[in-house]
Amino acid sequence: MDMLALDPTKFIDLNTMSIVFLFLVGFIGGLVSGFIGSGGAFVLTPGMMSLGVPGTVAVASNMCHKFPKALVGAIKRFRYGQVDVKMGLIMAVSAIVGVQVGIKVQQIVLAMWGQAGSDLYVSLSFVLVLVFVGGYVMKDAIHCARSGGEEETTALARRLQTIELWPMISFPRSGLRISLWFTLPVGFATGLLAATIAVGGFVGVPGMIYVLGVPGLMASATELVVAFVMGLGGSVNWAMHGMVDIRLVLIILGGSLLGVQLGAIGTTYVRPHMIKMVMATIMLIVAVSRGLALPTYLVKLGFMELPDATISLLKNVSFASMCLALLTGAVIILGSMWAGRKAQVAAS
Amino acid sequence: MTHSTKPVGRTLVFGALTAAFYTGFFAYGDTIAAHFAQGSLWAAGPIATVFAVSYLHGEFASNLWATLGISAVRKHERTTVTATKRPAQRPTLHA
Repeated sequence: MDMLALDPTKFIDLNTMSIVFLFLVGFIGGLVSGFIGSGGAFVLTPGMMSLGVPGTVAVASNMCHKFPKALVGAIKRFRYGQVDVKMGLIMAVSAIVGVQVGIKVQQIVLAMWGQAGSDLYVSLSFVLVLVFVGGYVMKDAIHCARSGGEEETTALARRLQTIELWPMISFPRSGLRISLWFTLPVGFATGLLAATIAVGGFVGVPGMIYVLGVPGLMASATELVVAFVMGLGGSVNWAMHGMVDIRLVLIILGGSLLGVQLGAIGTTYVRPHMIKMVMATIMLIVAVSRGLALPTYLVKLGFMELPDATISLLKNVSFASMCLALLTGAVIILGSMWAGRKAQVAAS
Repeated sequence: MTHSTKPVGRTLVFGALTAAFYTGFFAYGDTIAAHFAQGSLWAAGPIATVFAVSYLHGEFASNLWATLGISAVRKHERTTVTATKRPAQRPTLHA
């Protein structure tokens, strides 16, 4: 192999601290992804950037670690009978269209209002979507918990399933039959959100549950198929532009492949509403985190004034609360796994 | 929880293979990363690498959790809503 120097403007020097940080975030992100179908990406990208990795390399490397993690998680959960491959593939195709539209919207926002405007748009989308969807999922999770953990198909999903609009598609795994025209928008919205805030699953999983009527356990596992297809396509694209730092990818994968399998196993220990509970908790904390980042962008755009010290504090608190979101999710997962295991030992 | 024997052998084999892969890679980490960052057809490099790691490390991780006694519980069967039946044949005209 001929000697080729690593471009220092794109690739950071790795030290023990950064390796340990990436491995741990990879593990926790993997644990959450294996359990709720997505997550981790929203901490990994800013986390890598805080280590000095340029934004595009961080996004590319994150995506390149995401699809193999999703693949391993999907295979594991498929073995538990939780994956609706047909639903996942249909969702993935429409999500790819959503991603393309999302990228175009981003480009328009960037051209009109610059980087600060683009950041503001991303953060506003984060806050609005996560507060609205996360709040709804939390309300439903609490309702499920109070009614003994039983999941109910929403009235909207039941109504949509009765509308005979060609072509009707049967999803035997999920136990439903619905028109393609109601499936496509959910996938499209997943892709649109993935291109905007990098975590399409925050719309994809609730969309499958509440709009299409897919059971929560099945929706969270099927999202891994969507993440795999979208992530593979995106990674090939980024890799062809030479933006993937394979060293970072392998370190993160080292942790996340351990985590994603543990998260997948965890889904068999808990009642299905726990998946909604974890997802909603993470979404609402991330919404607060992004809400704290809003003033920084408003200052950059000249809409308000704040001292530099306050902006710096808000930035740090915002990043810390994002890490807190991931950690809280991990603690709930491990805690409920522990409780599930204890109950199982007591029963046997 | 299954009562089958723990896959210690498979854990060790895939653990050793994963460790060898990571050691070999990081011995030339910067050079390999620089080659893969040339873009175009070099894109096959990172994609093939992560697929290889998915298999080796994925198998290791799976067997490791099983060896540690953490396996899936099949305590409840999947509960799904019943699919709406396809409507009966379209009405035909028997003239």
